[in-house]
This record gives sequence, C-alpha cells and structure tokens, in this order.
Amino acid sequence: MDRTIQKNGLVNLLALLAAGAAGLAAARYAGSLAGLVSALFLGLGVLVAIVSWFQMRLEERERVEKLEVDELAKTRSASAMFEAKDAELFPAQRSREQFERFFVPAFTVLLLVLQAGGAYLLWRWLSRSTTVAEVKEPITGLSSFGLLALVLFLLGRFSATVARLQRHRLLRPGANYLLCNAVLCLVVALGLVAVWAGFPKTDFYVAHVLCGLLGLVALETLIQLVLEIYRPRVRGKVERPLYESRLIGLLGQPEGLVTTAAQAMDYQFGFKVSETWFYRFFEKALGWLILLQAAALLLSTCVVFIEAGEQGLLERFGQRVESRSPLGPGAHLKWPWPIDRVYRFGAEQIQSFTVGSMPDPAKEQSRHVLWGQGHSVETNFLVANREQLSQEAASRVASKRTPPVSLLTVSVPVYFQITNLVDWAYNNEDASTLLEDLSTREVLRYLVGVDMNDIMSQGRGQAAQDLGERIQAAANRYNLGARIVSVGLGDLHPPVKVAPEYEKVVAAIQTKQAKILAAQADDIRTNALAGAQAVSLTNRASAERRSREIGALARAALFTNQIPAFEAAPSVYAERTYLQTFARATANARKYVLLTTNTQDVITFDLQESIAQSLLNLSVPAPKTK
Amino acid sequence: MKRNPLTLVIGLVLILIFGLLLFTFQVRTTEVAVVTTFGKPTRPITEPNLYFKWPWPIQKVWSFDRRVQNFEDRLTEGLTRDNFNLLTSVYVGWKVSDPTAFFPRFADSANPIAAAETLLDQWLGNAKTAVVGKHPLADFVSTSDDGASFVAIETEILEAIRSQLHTNNLGLEIAFLGLKRLQLPESVTQSVFERMTSERKVLADRFQYEGEAEAQRIRSDAERKAAEALADAEGQATEIKGKGEAEAAKSLKVFQQSPELASFIFRLSALEDSLKERSVLIFDQHTPPFDLFRGVSTNLLKK
Repeated sequence: MDRTIQKNGLVNLLALLAAGAAGLAAARYAGSLAGLVSALFLGLGVLVAIVSWFQMRLEERERVEKLEVDELAKTRSASAMFEAKDAELFPAQRSREQFERFFVPAFTVLLLVLQAGGAYLLWRWLSRSTTVAEVKEPITGLSSFGLLALVLFLLGRFSATVARLQRHRLLRPGANYLLCNAVLCLVVALGLVAVWAGFPKTDFYVAHVLCGLLGLVALETLIQLVLEIYRPRVRGKVERPLYESRLIGLLGQPEGLVTTAAQAMDYQFGFKVSETWFYRFFEKALGWLILLQAAALLLSTCVVFIEAGEQGLLERFGQRVESRSPLGPGAHLKWPWPIDRVYRFGAEQIQSFTVGSMPDPAKEQSRHVLWGQGHSVETNFLVANREQLSQEAASRVASKRTPPVSLLTVSVPVYFQITNLVDWAYNNEDASTLLEDLSTREVLRYLVGVDMNDIMSQGRGQAAQDLGERIQAAANRYNLGARIVSVGLGDLHPPVKVAPEYEKVVAAIQTKQAKILAAQADDIRTNALAGAQAVSLTNRASAERRSREIGALARAALFTNQIPAFEAAPSVYAERTYLQTFARATANARKYVLLTTNTQDVITFDLQESIAQSLLNLSVPAPKTK
Repeated sequence: MKRNPLTLVIGLVLILIFGLLLFTFQVRTTEVAVVTTFGKPTRPITEPNLYFKWPWPIQKVWSFDRRVQNFEDRLTEGLTRDNFNLLTSVYVGWKVSDPTAFFPRFADSANPIAAAETLLDQWLGNAKTAVVGKHPLADFVSTSDDGASFVAIETEILEAIRSQLHTNNLGLEIAFLGLKRLQLPESVTQSVFERMTSERKVLADRFQYEGEAEAQRIRSDAERKAAEALADAEGQATEIKGKGEAEAAKSLKVFQQSPELASFIFRLSALEDSLKERSVLIFDQHTPPFDLFRGVSTNLLKK
C-alpha cells in the first residue's frame, strides 16, 4: 500500500512536470499570456510534488525502520545494542526529523521567493505595452489547455481522495496543485474561448488575474512561515506540511467553500438546511444542471435572429450556404455552432463616412460655419489654379519658388448602402475602408483637375454630381456590392489661414460695385441738372427775346404817343417826366440831402448798412462869418 | 472506487470537443490555408470546408485571408521633374494568389499579412519616388488633360510594383492601386498660403481700383455731357436773344422821329434801371426836386 502511495506521488510529480512542459509549449505556440502564467503555477506544483514525494520516501523509510526495530525487539531480549540512544538506533527517523526541521522551512522560503518574485516579475512584464500580443492560435491553445485541465482534474481527484487517509496526507499538496492547476487550465481555456469569440483582450486580463492570485498565494506562504515560528510543537501530533497552501487547496476543491457555506446556513437557520431534500437534490444534480445548461446554450446556437436593417451570411464548415444566403431579418434555424456560423452585416442600413475634413466635436456646437473660423479637423487638397499673377505680384509674393497650385479645404460626406452582401463580404477583406479609399482617390483626382474658383462657385453643384457618379463607377469596378446614395460637399473653401483674404476680395468686388453705382448716380444727377439748366437757359433767352421784342414795340408805341406831348410842351413834359421818373426810381433809395452852403468843408459819410444813431442827429455847424 | 457517471459523461464530452478541436480545422470561404507537417508545407487548401489534421506539433495549419487586402502606404516625400517637393501616398489592393509561395516567405512572422504589407510599403516607397521624379507637378495637378496624366502615373507605379513582385514571386498579386493623398511639405504649404494671400490681395486691389476708375470715368462722362448740354443751351439762348435783339432793333426807327426826346427818355430809363437795387443818394439843394429846399431854414439852423 505504501509503495502505491509513493507511486501516486511520483505520478503526481510526473503529471505536473509533463503538464507544465505541455502548458508552456502550448502557451508559447498559441501566444497565450494566461497560459504562460499558469505554466508557472504548474512549475511550482512540480517543486511541491518533488518535496512531498521526497518527504513521503523519508516517512516510508522511517516506517520500515520502526518495523524492523519492533521485529528485532520481539525476537531478542533487551541487549546493550538497544540501550543506545534513539539517534543511533533510528537514523531514518532522524533524517526525516532533520528534513522537516531544516529543509522544509528552507524550501518554503524558496517557494515564497519564487511565488513573490514570479508574481512581481510577471506583473511588470504584463504591464509593458510590448507584451500585449495577439493570441495566434486560440483553438489549439484552448483545446490543449482543456485537455490538460481534464487530465489534471482526473489525477487530482484521485490523489485528493487517497490523500484523505491519515497516513497519506503527503499526497495532498501535490493533489491540491493538480486540482488547482486543472482549474487554472480551465480558466485559461475559457479565456481563449472568449478570444476566439472575438474578445481578444480576455487572455490578457486572465493573465493579470492569475498574477494576482500568485501574489495572494505568496502572501499566504509568508503568513504560514511567520506563524510557524510561534506554533506550539506537540510531540506525536501529525503536522501539516509547511509548504502546503490552503488557498491552493481551496481553489482546487471549491466544493469546500460550499460545505462551509452550508454549515453556516445550518447555524443561522437553527436546523440542518444541508439535510433538506432540496439541498441534497441540488448538491446531487448540480453537475447535471450545469451540463444541461451547457446543452441548452449549444442548442440556442441553432436559432439566429437577424435584426431589422441587417442581413446575415450563413456558412457551414466555413463554406457559404448559397441556397440560404443572405438571411433577411427574422428568425432562422441552423446547425449548432461550430458547424454553422452566421455573419451579420448592416446591409440595409444607410452608412456613411467623410472624405477630407472631419467634424471637430469641440467646435460642433457653434451655430456659425465660417471660412475664417476653424470648424473641423482641416484636411487640405491640392487644386489647380488658373489665375495668373502679374509679373510684379509674382516677384513680390515669394522669394522662394512656390508650386503653381492652391489648397482647398474639402469635406465630402458619402452615404452608401450595401446592395450585394456576398460581393461586399467576400471580395474584399475590408470593403468599408476600400470604399473610403476609392472615394478619397476620386475626390483627389477630381480636385486636381478643376480650377479652385470654378469649383467654389458655379461648379459646386456639378462637382457633387460628378463625384457621386465617379465613386459609384469605382465601386462597381471593384465589385464592392455597394450603392452610393448621395455625395455632398459639406465644406469647400480656402484654408482658414487664407480665407479672410478671399472674403476681402468679395468685399472689394462689392466696393467696386458700390463705387460704380455711386458714379452712375452722380452721372444721372449731373446730366439731369445740366439738361434742366440748358432748358432754363433757352427758356430764359426765349423770354428775354420776347420781352425785348414786346418791350421795344411797347416803347416805340409809347414814344410815338409821347412825341406830340413833348412837342406841345417840351420843357414841362420833360420836367414832369423827369420828376415822375425820379420819384419812382428813388423811392427805395436812401437819400441824403445836403442843405449847406459851406461847400469848402469836407463831410465824410459812413455808408454802412446801419447808420450810426449820432449821424441821424447830425447838426451842421453854422456857416462861418467872414 | 465507485465511478460517477456525470464525471464520465463530462470527461467524454470534453475529450470529444477538445479532440475535435485538435484534429480538425475549418477553412472559410474567405481563406486559403497551408498545412505543414513538422514545418514542411505538405498540403495547400483553397476550398472552404472542414478538414482533418494531426494535432500540433505534428501538423500545423496556416490560414490566410484570400480576399483583396486593402493597404495604404506611408506618406513619402519625393521630388518632381521640375523640382517641386511632393508628398504622396497610395492605397493598394492585394491578395494571396499562391499560398504555397506566400507561406514560406512570411512563415516566421507572427502576422504574415502585416509582414507582407511592410515589404510592400518599402517597395511602394521606391516605386513612387521613381515615378514622381519622372513627371512635372503639372501632371499631378492640372486642369488641362482631364486627369489623364494622373491615371498614367498610377499605372506606372502599379506596373513598377507588379514587376518587382513578379521577379520575387512572393505568392501575392496587386489587384489595383490608386493615389490617395497628394500633399506639400509644411514649409512649402506655408509659402503656398502666402502666395494665395498675395493673389487675393492683388485681386482685391484690382477690384478696388477698377471700381474707382470706372466711377471716375462715369463722372467724367457725365460732366462732359452736362457741359455739352449747357453749351448747346447757351448757344441756343444767345441765338434766341440775338433774334429778339434783331426784332427790337426794328422799332428804333420810331425813336429817330425825336432824338432829343428819345435820348431824354432813354436816360430816364437808364436812371430808373440803375436805381432798382438799394442805393444811397446824396443830393444838395440844387438837385430838383430838392431845390425846393433852397433858402428854407432847417431844424439845425434853428438850434
């Protein structure tokens, strides 16, 4: 029987060794970080298994030694030989004691160093950005780790069952590591399933969790070492090996947690919950329930629901099922995964992308879209420029040579729809990117062949139409299976740096128009006034002519009548006419009459508009008497 | 030991699943594959289906996407024939045409597709630079030839890269190639901005002075026309006045009947006309009718 136990220990050791090597190789091949960390657990398990196996052998030697001594004691009477000291009589016992006293603590310290160092170094290694690599062969990895988990589990369960016997306790550390590593391999395999299912970072996260677990195990070992110093030694009591981890045991046999929980419930409820029929049924049927759940999960993969706006491609063993593709919206039956698989696409949805300047989320809230204010992540395209600079301007512009092109900020939103899903999915690895590239190329080609000012003004509407046709033609040429719904020209303006100058040109055009219109208004006014003045001149002349003619006639007629009167009384008539005319003519004139005889005096008159009051009361001095 | 049938079932199911995973593999419609036995390519697979294989490490399956791969190379700077710096990048559609030829060249790489694209990137850089150097900038950006030169440049780069692939037999082929980006270096872009700014300034000045000149011309024309119209009118007025004068002169004969009276009346008329505006007249007592004051004492004398 004891030989069998040693064999079991050796099997454990070899199994852990083989599993460690296989796990390491599979992890490296598959590129699984979690697999590499679990390989370290397997390696630690190998060390523990070696030590426990060696300890098992020492205990076996001690047991054989005791049997031999007992046999000799029965056949011979006490002699001097048996009066010797124990150390001389039981070398195997002494070896075992020495082993447990010195080697086991030293090994536990070494184990602590390996656990703590491994956890620290692996965590640092995982934290490096270069460490994160794609899992290359998830299927091989998950199947390898799955098989390892199965083998380790079966061996571990067997060893753990045997180890429950009192004398076989040294099988327990190895068995715990076997079971724990079975669980860890299963976790790694599940992580790789997630990677296979499209969650590539899962393996990376599992590796971190395993690293943390290794750190916890190291902490437990440290605590055990500290407690070992103060532990009371009771002679004859069977001791738990110092290097045996309770945490590893708990991870390997999680049902222990369930039992503990059941006991706690018993205590809380005041009756044996763990002995009720439901609890017993649940305990017995848990495995079957999990298996049933897995079967239900697999069966659920026999139905696929395609959402509105989507289409699906059905593949059986990787081959497209032509009679059933594409699958439209609704429920569809299929063989379970991994025989049949469905790949979904938003085929009926209108999809879009933007060529050129992308909207800037930080500036999208602005209610104004102005050339001179940045409103997007600007992308400039080269465009032709027909404008010719004058010689003077050209020499002034730049001392260095400048390419005869201009730059234009362009944003072209393209809306498309998948019309042929098979072409879209199977002809190109990334049809969306290809359509974007083709669109960018067509925009580029269009812009380098048009004049900047043309496309910004009258050519803009035609440009959107031409671009739509060109992109559609390119998509057809490469069998993309897509229909271009619309192509717009969202942004089409000079770069922000030069946009204000373009606005100044527009302002100058308006100023020019304003000046011309003002001059035209002046023109109209000047000519109208001149016309009126001309008419006035001629009218005045006509009136004057008339007046002159009529006046001459009238004066002649008057004169004809005056002659007889004059001839009748020449002096009187003349006098009368003179005085009448004088009175009429001087009626409004200011008149000063000098009634003085002293003509030798000089009188000065101030003929201002307003006459000084003193002048009105001027008193003329009396004439001097000679 | 009593055997638990559940453990047995689970064990068998797991062994079945993991065994199938290890001994079979699928090739999708979108893939081609190469099976290697101890590292040696032994079986190329081009049809999609489920296949058997020996588990790793005996046999290993290398799968490659058979669809057209879309790849954009780096933006590289070249010099055109007329010595302008130009940045170009192209997109390339390529696919694995011969997996047995493709596999050995990139088997060492963790990602053969990425490794092939790295090689293509280098070759494309060389091909682009060479082709760009053969063409003036006007072949890339021009309104004159409706993009014919642009397409020709793409074709030249495509032919160059195809020739290199044919020589090296990498098991891949280029399906198409197109120019995706044409840019100028940052420093040149700045000078283009300066030139564009200056062009706009020239245009703005031109429009401004054209406006002033046009306005001045319009005003000048208007003034000329106004002056002409006034001159015409003045001429007409003078002519009209002349006619009136001629008509008036006809009545002078009447005055000849008594020249003395006519002279007296004309002088009176002239006197009356000349005193129409505000006038200041100073008379002495000899001027009729103020001669009536002669010998009359004034209020001053009374003082």
